[in-house]
Amino acid sequence: MSWQKKDKDIDEGGIPFHLDKSAVLQEARIFNATPIMPRKCRILLAKIIYLLYQGETLGTVEATELFFSITKLFQNKDMSLRQMVYLVIKELSTISEDVIMVTSSLMRDMQPKSDVIYRGNAIRALCKITDVSMLPGIERFLKAAIVEKNAAISSASLMSSYHLFWQAKDLIRRWGNEVQEALNSKGGSSSGGFFSGSASSSPAAVAAAAASHSTMVQYHAMGLMYAIRQHDRMAVAKLVQGFTSGNSGGSRGFFGGSSGSVIRNNMAHCLLIRYACQVMENDVSVDRQLYDLLEGWIRHRSDMVSLEAIRSLCALPGITDKDLASSVAALQLFLASPKSTIRFAAIRTLNQLAAAHPQAVGACNIDMEGLITDSNRSVATFAITTLLKTGNEASVDRLIKQIAGFMSEISNEFKVIVMEAIRSLALKFPSKHPTMLTFLSNVLRDEGSYECKKAVVDAMLDMVREIPDCKEVALSHLCEFIEDCEFHKLSVRVLHLLGEEGPTTVTPSIYIRHIYNRVILEKSVVRAAAVNALTKFAVNVNDPALQGSIRILLRRCLEDRDDEVRDRATWALRVCDNAQASEKYIKDTSSYDWETLEGKLYQYCADPQAAQAGPFNVAQVPRVSKTYAEAMRQRTRALGSELENATPLLPAPGTTGKDGSGAMGRDGTKKSSGGVGGHPASTEDSASAAFKRQELYAQELKAIPEFSGFGPLLVSSSKPCELTEAETEYVVQGVKHLFRGHVVFQFDCTNTIPDQLLENAFVIMAGMEDDLEEVATVPAPALACNQTSATYVAFAKLGLDEGADESAALQPIVGSYNTTLKFMVKDCDPNTGEPDSDEGFEDEYVLEDVELTLADWMQPRYLGEPLKVWAELEGAAERVETFALSAFVNLQDALDSVAELMGMYPCDNTHRVPAKKVSHTAIFTALYAGQIKTILRVRLTMAPHQGGGAS
Amino acid sequence: MSTIIKSLLTWLRSLFFKEEMELTLVGLQNSGKTTLVNVIASGQFNEDMIPTVGFNMRKVTKGSVTMKLWDIGGQSRFRSMWERYCRGVDAIVFVIDSADHGKLNSARVELRNLLEKPQLANIPVLVLGNKNDLPQALTIDELIEEMDLHQINNREVCCYSISAKNQVNIDKTLEWLIKHAGSGK
Repeated sequence: MSWQKKDKDIDEGGIPFHLDKSAVLQEARIFNATPIMPRKCRILLAKIIYLLYQGETLGTVEATELFFSITKLFQNKDMSLRQMVYLVIKELSTISEDVIMVTSSLMRDMQPKSDVIYRGNAIRALCKITDVSMLPGIERFLKAAIVEKNAAISSASLMSSYHLFWQAKDLIRRWGNEVQEALNSKGGSSSGGFFSGSASSSPAAVAAAAASHSTMVQYHAMGLMYAIRQHDRMAVAKLVQGFTSGNSGGSRGFFGGSSGSVIRNNMAHCLLIRYACQVMENDVSVDRQLYDLLEGWIRHRSDMVSLEAIRSLCALPGITDKDLASSVAALQLFLASPKSTIRFAAIRTLNQLAAAHPQAVGACNIDMEGLITDSNRSVATFAITTLLKTGNEASVDRLIKQIAGFMSEISNEFKVIVMEAIRSLALKFPSKHPTMLTFLSNVLRDEGSYECKKAVVDAMLDMVREIPDCKEVALSHLCEFIEDCEFHKLSVRVLHLLGEEGPTTVTPSIYIRHIYNRVILEKSVVRAAAVNALTKFAVNVNDPALQGSIRILLRRCLEDRDDEVRDRATWALRVCDNAQASEKYIKDTSSYDWETLEGKLYQYCADPQAAQAGPFNVAQVPRVSKTYAEAMRQRTRALGSELENATPLLPAPGTTGKDGSGAMGRDGTKKSSGGVGGHPASTEDSASAAFKRQELYAQELKAIPEFSGFGPLLVSSSKPCELTEAETEYVVQGVKHLFRGHVVFQFDCTNTIPDQLLENAFVIMAGMEDDLEEVATVPAPALACNQTSATYVAFAKLGLDEGADESAALQPIVGSYNTTLKFMVKDCDPNTGEPDSDEGFEDEYVLEDVELTLADWMQPRYLGEPLKVWAELEGAAERVETFALSAFVNLQDALDSVAELMGMYPCDNTHRVPAKKVSHTAIFTALYAGQIKTILRVRLTMAPHQGGGAS
Repeated sequence: MSTIIKSLLTWLRSLFFKEEMELTLVGLQNSGKTTLVNVIASGQFNEDMIPTVGFNMRKVTKGSVTMKLWDIGGQSRFRSMWERYCRGVDAIVFVIDSADHGKLNSARVELRNLLEKPQLANIPVLVLGNKNDLPQALTIDELIEEMDLHQINNREVCCYSISAKNQVNIDKTLEWLIKHAGSGK
């Protein structure tokens, strides 16, 4: 619809562009007038909606007043007025009080006997104002409406159910049959007059809506069906198979096929593709069959379905270049589409694909080069960045030149994308760094937002780190950048890098001038960073003359206006003169684990007793290596905003828990062994998070009187293990705690049933070897819905006297135990949580087996420079073993499972196997049982014929 | 042209011969308000009713009078909203289940609370003791006594004992209502 047209419509409706809220509310008196004036009221309702859409807010009192005067309009039978009333009610439903007042009226409007066009609208309004407690009352009508022949009504009911589903899962789950019927229905009659009542919709829109509506039901039904079944893998698989089985035998007879269910709606088809991919992920056995289907759908007549199928195929894990050929061929055709949306979708898919499969995308290179000059800048940017990923070394120069041509035309967001591409390209072709650096420094010189400049600086910092050759050039570019940089954060980062890298260059002196310029010219934040950088030069450069000059510069900083700068300068001068201090503070690159440090400090400040007991003890905080910190930083950046706060920092209620990890390494055990196992690849768990969790556990356990005699907690298992499926009635997670003479199993139980109250929940464990004897069970007293509470079972290690030596006490106990959750169930009111009666019944729930593995005894910890630790532990207990791991296809998988089995901390990024290597050595360190330093060296070699071997 | 004249005529006719009135039916839940509205509107008694959630609005024409009936739900969550729908109406109809002795007390309290509202001063009230077909139903005098209707002296109050099921005294009720058409203005 063109703007003029819209304008005209609004004039017809008499809506001026500037409305005053109070005036409109004043006017609302006409709703109470007798008789009702439908036309006037309609216009006024339109004004209210207009105001709300403009961002005007109504107070609760205002909204409630308005709502009740609007309810008076139900006496008028004017259809368009009624539709406007619904619209306003939907808007007010979240603001006004007592909106359920219109429930009965809406239910009357949605009755099948009222043969009016607004039935669907009434259903939609009803679902907005109703609440869960009212739902059983209207369930019958909604169910009937779902199977209604009229597509508009059926859709309205399906969508309403979809929105209500998240509040009343159990109720709506029972509607499966109706939804299935809607899913299979032939579309039914589309009501032509569905929109005719609304004054402002154009005839074209009505026609389009009517045409698409007949099959839209299927789309909505599919969405709801999936919502109902999503946690039942088998049911989702059945849903997908219902639509796909018809053609598995008859090759491609799918689209005209009459057997089984048929997809009529393109959007439903896209949904089906997504669900199918999910099924493939969960169930490898149907992989091939669904894969063939997806490939068939690439040739679907609708571009949307085709693109969705391609996108899904490209995103499949482990897909090979060969399998991608047909997808890429189809994308190649789409690249030439006259519609820019399709070109965009295609190029974006190629772009994502290029990251993992540059060879496969290479076939489109010529077509993509044509798109560089595309009038749509977004398409052009993606084309360039994709080419950068797929291109060979020879074309890099040419591409960079082309990008430089239009850098000034694209927005900052796209600049960031380009910078990311350049960054990965630079790391891929290190020899091209001069071109890249020139390009990057040009971008730095140009205007740009903080985000854009940050992306450039990030790219350069990575290049400095990864490509030693370009260090000097990159540093000089960065020096130039900070001479005229408006973003302090970036200046500080660059100064830090200069401090790190500068002293090891051939001529450190040239950077000192740039750094000192900052001291003279910049804000205090930057000046302080500059002083730090100077300090590093002073310590790390082995040139007495230069050291002397730096000291002169530092001394000048003592006169600075800012305290912080002066303090740092004073400290720097002291440290420079003291070899031992400089060794400790400047040359040592390892740092504290910041998260843990923050948590510890927080605890310390929150606890008044701790301050009296003495100063904060920094030895509690584990140190991490520079490479580890770097790896964490990279990961944080990769996760971006998705990164959640894995463990919230809790203020400590009592005294700081005394952890068992205080004393390190009394005697050492050195082990060298490989592992076996068939576990799926593990995800890397941050050592510090585990450390923090253990702190919390230690406090909780200390508070339980039954466990007070067990002594300090040695180690807690680093990850809670799931003992139930995630979406069952009761969710239970197990955590294992090891004490010197005892093992405590902690079960965190969560009740997810709203009308049940669980009391006295505890876990029965069986299958113990005779080395463990149960000594105590601590039940969880009461569990209301969505509450999590812990129950504990404690075992004593048998055959362990007071005087037993350390090695016996710390002998690992490994085993697998059956567990059953027992509890007393009481029915309760879901709203208040009060039990209906005092009577309950005993029930039990079988959990999955709990395993006690070697990894539970390990506390992943960075112990220092791996080689030093190895040397330090030389001569201690050592074991060498060799295993043949035939279950793995590549070294990374094998190493991942070894890492998971041992639960140790990977040093220096050695847990990542570089691509295309046939052998790899990884080093892991940990504290065994909280006190014994353990180091593990794994050497993996790919056997020439099949899998890998480890020694 | 003819349509315009026709509509003009209807309008004129309505001006002289037609009267509109607005009524609000309130009372505790399960006292038979919606049933009564159905009986008045269509003359049909329907045993199987669901509780009114919120309100129902019905327009009924009896003779030359068009009645707008606001039938408000009687559950406790809706009672605070009775007042909003009683403002400016021609008459308030308070329906009581005269066979349910246990609820008479709260019915009396609710009626008194409603009539205390200053916005509703002087609006006539018709109290209907419904379900007089049941054996344990109160007689009209007992009902007046139980409901303290003699205490209400600042407005017109009337009380009938009716049965929506057997259509007893519905005509009398209608007569009273039509007599009060236009009193709210």
